Amino acid sequence: MLIHEVLVVGGGLAGLMAALVASQKADVAVLSKIYPTRSHSGAAQGGFNAALGEDDSVEAHIFDTVKGSDYLGDQDAIEVLCSEGPEVILELERMGVPWTRTPEGRVAQRSLGGAGFPRACFAADFSGHVVLHTLFEQVLRRGIKIYPEWHLVELLVEDGQVAGVLAYDLARARLEVIRSKAVILATGGYGRAFAKTTNAHANTGDGMAIAYRAGAVLSDMEFVQFHPTTLYGTNILISEAARGEGGYLRNYDGERFMVHYAPQKMELAPRDVVSRAIFKEIKEGRGFEGQYVHLDLTHLGEALVAERLPQVRDLAIRYAGVDPARAPMPIEPAQHYSMGGVRTDVWGMTSLTGLLAAGEVANVSVHGANRLGGNSLLETVVFGRRAGHRAAQLARQEPWPTLSAATITRAYESWSSLLAGRGQGVQEDSTFAIRQEMTNLMTNQVGVFRVGSELEDAVNRLAKLKERYQRLKAPGGMQPFNYALMDYLEVGYLLDLCEVIARGALRRTESRGAHYRLDYPQRDDQNWLCHTFVRRGEDGPEFSNGPVKITRYAPQERGY
Amino acid sequence: MNVVLNICRFNPEVDVKPYFQEFTVLVEEHNTVLDALLQAWQQDPGLSFRRSCRSAICGSCALCINGRPGLACQTLIRNAITEGGRITLEPLPHFRQLKDLVVDLDPFFESLKAVVPWVVIRDNHDGRMAPEVARKLESPATCILCGVCHAAMDDPGEVKPAALVKGLRLALDPRDVLGAARLQLMKVPRDILRLFIKNLPEKCPKGITVPEDVCHV
Ligand SMILES: Cc1cc2nc3c(=O)[nH]c(=O)nc-3n(C[C@H](O)[C@H](O)[C@H](O)COP(=O)(O)OP(=O)(O)OC[C@H]3O[C@@H](n4cnc5c(N)ncnc54)[C@H](O)[C@@H]3O)c2cc1C
Ligand code: SF4
Ligand code: FES
Repeated sequence: MLIHEVLVVGGGLAGLMAALVASQKADVAVLSKIYPTRSHSGAAQGGFNAALGEDDSVEAHIFDTVKGSDYLGDQDAIEVLCSEGPEVILELERMGVPWTRTPEGRVAQRSLGGAGFPRACFAADFSGHVVLHTLFEQVLRRGIKIYPEWHLVELLVEDGQVAGVLAYDLARARLEVIRSKAVILATGGYGRAFAKTTNAHANTGDGMAIAYRAGAVLSDMEFVQFHPTTLYGTNILISEAARGEGGYLRNYDGERFMVHYAPQKMELAPRDVVSRAIFKEIKEGRGFEGQYVHLDLTHLGEALVAERLPQVRDLAIRYAGVDPARAPMPIEPAQHYSMGGVRTDVWGMTSLTGLLAAGEVANVSVHGANRLGGNSLLETVVFGRRAGHRAAQLARQEPWPTLSAATITRAYESWSSLLAGRGQGVQEDSTFAIRQEMTNLMTNQVGVFRVGSELEDAVNRLAKLKERYQRLKAPGGMQPFNYALMDYLEVGYLLDLCEVIARGALRRTESRGAHYRLDYPQRDDQNWLCHTFVRRGEDGPEFSNGPVKITRYAPQERGY
Repeated sequence: MNVVLNICRFNPEVDVKPYFQEFTVLVEEHNTVLDALLQAWQQDPGLSFRRSCRSAICGSCALCINGRPGLACQTLIRNAITEGGRITLEPLPHFRQLKDLVVDLDPFFESLKAVVPWVVIRDNHDGRMAPEVARKLESPATCILCGVCHAAMDDPGEVKPAALVKGLRLALDPRDVLGAARLQLMKVPRDILRLFIKNLPEKCPKGITVPEDVCHV
């Protein structure tokens, strides 16, 4: 057994920030299924929102976020997010983040969707990357113990309290118990539940599913963000920064069609609005080959594209064969972000004692029904910091929770047997086949436009996929670097989450933010201005509604 | 089109030494070597290789493609294919092979520690940096720690290549107390440093360029 006062699961921005803060007062280790610098935070291009500008204000940032969330965000959490933004940017500056600068040497800021001001601090279009690597440098500086390529597989719960974890070491092919006073989940999102996604292969929602299995409450899982501009075919992201720097969306007729959907904000309307607009254009025959529209940067000039969007340019040239400085890029919407997650308070505390969560895995509800560009990176550092702080406090004040030999033996034996592939298995079926059907189903039936009958069908088909999954045998046994075994576990996590997402979407008979029901196209504040909570029951998910915290801004019509 | 992947296999639990195995996969010209590998994996789920972002930003998928270190997800089939529709894939040289295309990264990450790999912040830093100075940091700060330089270049002295890139990026940072002293710390002779800086963009998949004037700081 290994022992650490605070165990951070996840080496992305949220996890590293939490570990850095907690390490000031407690013994901390980071467990991550890929090396921390490989985390998908590094793919973030656009930037971190913070009201630094002279004309901008924390108040304006709060209002934009509340409105962007379609009034489902908790306003107390949004207040924390926006008020701590400026100081956290300053902290990152002192850690050594190489921001892009204004002529006066200040941190430069650009416009992203749904914001009233240029508010996103950036480093060209490598914003997530440079901050991830800077935090990693600080982790080295503090000598924080890292367990790279270790997979969390179970949270060990004793008397309703999380007392440690069971993890699987991919290189050495063995299970290990880590005892701790506090576990911080920072495992990111579940993008790989969808066939079309901007997310990395590693983004399989492990933490959400494992917390759900352990009895934690998840919330607002039906709210899934679809990013409007991903390269047609590969779904590699073309950052909102491309529109922030002045890019246009055009249909087959060359028209800037956003004029019909968001006449004021145009291309910089929030993502839910733009994604629906693109699909509508395509559906009504104004797309290219019935599949995509154009994102046009040609009028910006080669110099600006090269300076501000070098990665976007590289990606488009390589993966779409188009130089955006010279020709428009073919783009289509794809899954991008998980608004829902493990329910937490503003200090990252979940419904299970000893378990905290921060970053995309969590739902403190700053994004509500739709996240604004630049707010997620900010969330990772603001709430990662808070979770680290609270976990260290727990480590200082609380006694070690009980972790009985019985619990350890039970977990160890059941997982050894499962991973070794003991028991029946259906030969002709495979994780690959199940994954493919699941992801297509999610993209086609639980996507940008949803309708009751298709959601019902999706729920039924997901249940069948789950039955098939349960008959599979874990492939290959406990062998070093058996990625098929990890894939098998990940598909299991995703199936649990898909069920919760699809059923949540079926349940919510209104349209709000990213959740759009063709059969209920209006927002319904009377019945649905509430969070969706879900907990695992004996026979599947048990849903309930919870209040939204509204402090200053009463819901209004959301026009752009 | 059909492509033959000739993949170096090694399972430390059973094999005496590495061997090659062929996989025929159906891919498009504009697909990547990673796409091809993912197909080979479906044929043999026991095949091991690292991957995550599939967009050349996480550094996971570094390997040796037809004898040249690079990123699988950044290399298009049309640029990798050799005579007879073959592509040979091996683990990165200069690294210990752990299983198939997976190598031991611990010594690589460990090597960074030789250069005090973080900004040692000046007490009087006022939060500003001239944009032309910031621009100099930009390229070296895009290093994804993929290890390709480590596999493709000779060690420029005691410090390993990726650590040197990190050290140079930090030496250029006006916030850093060590600054120019970092060059002394790294003990790389100036002419070797110049040569390293000159060769790096061609070897590094991110095409990293270190401003030549770092040699004068
Ligand atoms: C392409 C792209 C661009 C984006 N651009 C922006 C942007 O410009 N601005 C913005 O605000 N937001 C952006 N986002 C969103 C934002 O980047 C993410 O929400 C955020 O980085 C998530 O960070 P995280 O720390 O929560 O998780 P991640 O960075 O995803 O890290 C998850 C970590 O958990 C670990 N992990 C997962 N499962 C396990 C397990 N079972 N066991 C052990 N470890 C595990 C992984 O190894 C990884 O280290 C973007 C997202 C994408 C996909
Ligand atoms: S310098 Fe280039 S090749 Fe070397 S680790 Fe960094 S990105 Fe990879
Ligand atoms: S998969 Fe991330 S660099 Fe290739």
